[in-house]
Amino acid sequence: MSLLDFFTDPVLRGPTWGTLFMCIASSLMGGVLFLKRRCLLGESLSHAAYPGIVAGVSLFALLFPEHDESAFFGMLAGAFATSFLGFKAIEWMEKKEKVRSDAALCFVLALFFGIGTVAASAMQSSLPSWRTKIHALMFGQAATMSDFHIALYAMLTSAVALFLFFGFRHLQAVLFDSDYAKTAGLPVRWIDWAIFWLFLFALILGIRSVGIVLMSGMAIAPAIAARQFTDRLQSFFCLSALFGALSGLAGNIISVMGTIALSKSGERLTLPTGPSIILIGAAIALLSLLFAPKRGWAFRICRIAAFRFRCLQENVLKAMWKKESYLFNEFQEIHRVVPLMLHAILWRLKQGGWIVKAKEQYILTADGRRKAASIVRLHRLWELYLASELGVSHEKIHLNAEEMEHILTPDIEERLTRLLANPKVDPHSQPIPERSFL
Amino acid sequence: MNQYAVETESLHVNYGKTAVLWDISFKIPRGCIVGILGQNGAGKSTLFKAILGLIKPLSGKIDLLGGCRVSDVRQKIAYVPQRESIDWDFPITAEEVVLMGRYGRLGLFGRVRKADREAAANALDLVGMRLFAKRQISQLSGGQQQRLFIARALVQDADLFLLDEPFAGVDMATEKAIMELLKVQKQQGKTILVIHHDLSTVEEYFEWSILLNTRLIACGPLTEVFHRENLIRTFGKGQMLFDEAADSLAKSQSGFL
Repeated sequence: MSLLDFFTDPVLRGPTWGTLFMCIASSLMGGVLFLKRRCLLGESLSHAAYPGIVAGVSLFALLFPEHDESAFFGMLAGAFATSFLGFKAIEWMEKKEKVRSDAALCFVLALFFGIGTVAASAMQSSLPSWRTKIHALMFGQAATMSDFHIALYAMLTSAVALFLFFGFRHLQAVLFDSDYAKTAGLPVRWIDWAIFWLFLFALILGIRSVGIVLMSGMAIAPAIAARQFTDRLQSFFCLSALFGALSGLAGNIISVMGTIALSKSGERLTLPTGPSIILIGAAIALLSLLFAPKRGWAFRICRIAAFRFRCLQENVLKAMWKKESYLFNEFQEIHRVVPLMLHAILWRLKQGGWIVKAKEQYILTADGRRKAASIVRLHRLWELYLASELGVSHEKIHLNAEEMEHILTPDIEERLTRLLANPKVDPHSQPIPERSFL
Repeated sequence: MNQYAVETESLHVNYGKTAVLWDISFKIPRGCIVGILGQNGAGKSTLFKAILGLIKPLSGKIDLLGGCRVSDVRQKIAYVPQRESIDWDFPITAEEVVLMGRYGRLGLFGRVRKADREAAANALDLVGMRLFAKRQISQLSGGQQQRLFIARALVQDADLFLLDEPFAGVDMATEKAIMELLKVQKQQGKTILVIHHDLSTVEEYFEWSILLNTRLIACGPLTEVFHRENLIRTFGKGQMLFDEAADSLAKSQSGFL
């Protein structure tokens, strides 16, 4: 079985294309909700669909007992009905009764899911064969998707893509600053309406392959990942779709391969599609949170370490400015860092041309002297500013200046100089090195 | 057609169970810069939202730009919201925020035209922000963020500007620069309403003033209304009894009492 088979084989292509389209649609609409800061709405609405699914399938079973292959439509209709009801209940509680948003969302989730669970167990005795259909929806069942599902999901994805493309500017304004969008006369109601219905469609159709319990995770995980990489709305949506598609494809392939492997080993087990997709999506989100270039945790740690290292270097330079030459041991007495770190600092300073080493003695170069003087200047300027402009007491200014001397930019330095009328001495009566000398 | 930019008649606004605005009637002539003064919770922002049609008043009438309803003159009103109401982490660049000022009149399917982009670039230039056009908005300083939203209002070519605390978290130089821009707008016959906190600069900035403390204390030329007695009424506590009574009325009206 090759990778291509997943897209062409009559049995395999249903789940592959189906989940692919479904994941793109739901991750795009999930991105919209993510920016609206309403992620939990997805969770509440997918759970609110449960009683509707039970009721829809039951009604369908009573009306058309011999068409059990089309129970999908009963499920859809019911899911829409109760999800919509859940949404209206949330809206009513938030707006009219001023219930806090999180409380309203939790309440609807618990209430509707509870009703659904009770109703589902009631089916157990009366409609046992139909109940298995519902049970499969809890965590999704992609394996039984057909070409019909491909067409349905492709239509949904096209609708979402068209909405995002043609409504992009309006959507951007509504998401960013909804009050402003209203005052500018944009069709805010229509946009909100479109967002809601497209999201609901994506959510409910998605339940078929990912399941009630996991659906909202599928919608949000790609958005979390995408936000880590970009500051532009266009690329945010493109990346969301990409990550959604990746998790859909990979999750589906893993699930099929895994199930085949399990059956070869003789176990009667399946690796379900929904959880596989979610795990891939979550892995992408997690990796993005850790390793995205700008916002990622790993790079932030690196930048923090680099900053600390620079502070240490500057502190060493500053100490050397006050005394002609240093022995290694003398450094160790003032700077409480491990010897290895101190070696690294001194090596880096030597590399930078700020200091030279002669006969075990470390001496500042002319460049190093200038740089050190500029740090001292920043330190003392800041002390003076704190004491004279902000009235901070003399005991406290030194520690604050110790930190700020590494932060102040030439621009701030210039403004400080102007504000303090190019001062000559700091509050401790120490001379402030001149800029011209630097 | 009359010459008033904003005209309200016995405007009442309740926020849930509290009365926020109480019987507000005033007239603001076109072509002046108006300072709206009042303490926290005096209903200043609510007045703006009522004028903009974002909240529905309990009763009363608001006429804009010579007797029009807000829904007929939306393009002509530019609104600069309070800084806190903005999601600064939103994935949007400075340039696009300014461009948003044109969204009220986009082409078919909401396409942005070249003219819109050029207008946005010019507005960014005008507020001295061209260099920051491509920055995500959280990477701007407070003063820059505020200037950005002024640029968005300018690019709209509005006749009426509503600025909700444009000088909050802004340095003095930026404040003066914004004021200069507004004065140029005024000279073109535009009306500018500014919610303002710093009483020391009122006389320098405004020629007309509204003093608000749930009810209208005064509205008129600064020389007539900006005096000690009115300020005590606006910022003093003599009003507490009135507020309490107004609150219980609001509660009764919304069924909480």
